[in-house]
Amino acid sequence: MKKILMTALKTSISEVMETMFFLPIEFGKDATLAQCGMDKKNTMACRLTFTGDASGTLILLAPENLVAEMAENFMGESRDQLTSEYLSGTLTEMLNMVCGNALSKTNSKVPFELGIPEMMDTSEISEKEMFTIVETTESKMAVLLKMD
Amino acid sequence: MSYSILIVDDSLPMRSVIKRTLKAAGYGSSEILEAANGQEALELMKNSWVDIVITDYNMPVMNGLDFIKTLKLNDLSKDIPVVVISTEGNESKIKEFMGSGAAGYITKPFTPEAIRDLIVNILGEADYEENFDDSAEDFDF
Repeated sequence: MKKILMTALKTSISEVMETMFFLPIEFGKDATLAQCGMDKKNTMACRLTFTGDASGTLILLAPENLVAEMAENFMGESRDQLTSEYLSGTLTEMLNMVCGNALSKTNSKVPFELGIPEMMDTSEISEKEMFTIVETTESKMAVLLKMD
Repeated sequence: MSYSILIVDDSLPMRSVIKRTLKAAGYGSSEILEAANGQEALELMKNSWVDIVITDYNMPVMNGLDFIKTLKLNDLSKDIPVVVISTEGNESKIKEFMGSGAAGYITKPFTPEAIRDLIVNILGEADYEENFDDSAEDFDF
């Protein structure tokens, strides 16, 4: 099930990034945050739980600069207009769209139920976790699917 | 013609995007009201007339489905059209929404055209020239 979900997630990440944030992406090799050069310090993170045929949590990490670029593209506002609420809202909405879109591609017998996406502290994330790396032209984000 | 449009979504950026889409679609002179969940929307509707509601499904306090069911139970609000914009793309979930009285359903990610076409279909064509908002100039339709 994890493999099916991960395939669906990759398709959804591409769709959401291009349709809503106007950022084409490519997938890099799976890596830890250190291996892909992501620093927890200037990085924002959020998580979303889901239940259904399978249950788990999806975690998304992105550097503040990338989140700001996404928010600018998403809302058409200049960076100086974007408060922290807009930035965190953009990241959680991105996760919400990706997760909901991916789960609907799995043809599950029971409809999945999504939780409410929430911001999390990057210190909660283990250095050993292997992430799916999503690369934009100038930056990258990391996605982690944890099954219960 | 201007309308009163209520956007119900717990995501501040998403409310902002929908608002901007409505302006670009020619509803710039309409009154746009906002609520962060179904309960907040019901409170707001006690004192404000609304011509159409655009709501998310997955929200804290009261989700979009319970919100629609509550609206449809009330004689004063049962005929107000409700459009759902949600990440939930599962067919049975969409059927559940339409069965509860939703007038339309758009899945995220969406294009501005999808929102515009559905709203125009329900409310009728907006007077684009009269209502055009300069801030929406760079919006692609």
